Amino acid sequence: MSENQPLQYRIQEEISELAASVNEIVTKFRDLQNPLKESSEKVPKATKQLDKISEQTEAATHQMLDRVEKIVQQVEDSKKGLDEIKVCTKDGRTDDISALADDLIEKADITCNDAYTIIDALQFQDITSQQMNHAASLLEDIEVRLQSIMGALKGQPSDETHDEKRRDRKTRVYDPHADLFDKKTDQLAIDDMFARKG
Amino acid sequence: MADLKILAVDDSPTMRRIIMNTLKRAGYKDVIEASDGRDALAKMKVEKVNFVITDWNMPEMDGLTFVTTLRSMGEYKSLPILMVTTRSVKDDIVEALKAGVNNYIVKPFTPDTLKEKIEQVLAG
Repeated sequence: MSENQPLQYRIQEEISELAASVNEIVTKFRDLQNPLKESSEKVPKATKQLDKISEQTEAATHQMLDRVEKIVQQVEDSKKGLDEIKVCTKDGRTDDISALADDLIEKADITCNDAYTIIDALQFQDITSQQMNHAASLLEDIEVRLQSIMGALKGQPSDETHDEKRRDRKTRVYDPHADLFDKKTDQLAIDDMFARKG
Repeated sequence: MADLKILAVDDSPTMRRIIMNTLKRAGYKDVIEASDGRDALAKMKVEKVNFVITDWNMPEMDGLTFVTTLRSMGEYKSLPILMVTTRSVKDDIVEALKAGVNNYIVKPFTPDTLKEKIEQVLAG
């Protein structure tokens, strides 16, 4: 029995060391659970945001293309009108020239308005840029969490990795609800709020 | 309208160009620009401004802090301020109202809405 005692102690010692290691691993895995959970929640959010950017950019581009196509058509029509004016001038038909000139003025006004509509539609750039900043910020957060997990596995204090990453980050300013089509409160409701304020 | 000097504050150069273009089309020719609240305050020290159009989400100094700062300065207590922002959540609008904004437009806006709100604010 006495010969076995040191062996028993050694086994007990080994088992308690093993238990401590398992305990440490379990604690580490528990610590990793939160960053992993947060990362897994942020990935779909970032994906959704990127999908929204893609859809809204496409919609805005179509709006602008429609107007550009109209402008091109109006310019083509105006060229034809100018050709007709040339012929009328040659033939001395002054009354026709005046009518054609009025028509061209009207077309120029329409073209101008279509060009302004394109300028107004370019507001999508500000909105999608905020959406992109939101998506980038979510992806940066995921990166920091993953770095923190890697750090924890290597036995580095997690705060150190967080601070290093945050120092390198660009300041991102955005409205997480920025949307080209979906306004949470419409202008009439806003007007009502300001009217009630007096 | 003739002696009205408007300051357009927005961190997006594209938005500043669009706002300035819209204002000029509406007949407001005297328009200056700033890229955030801090830049706007610096410009207002040099130039007398009678009307401010400001965004909310901006670096350095956001629109809400800018408005609060202006309202805390005696000379700008009654300066007409129009906020033009993507923020459309009701609580945000209430916050802007409390900060002292005279009217509020959610982006994207139409030229008619911008013109109408400026006129409303000027009419008091």
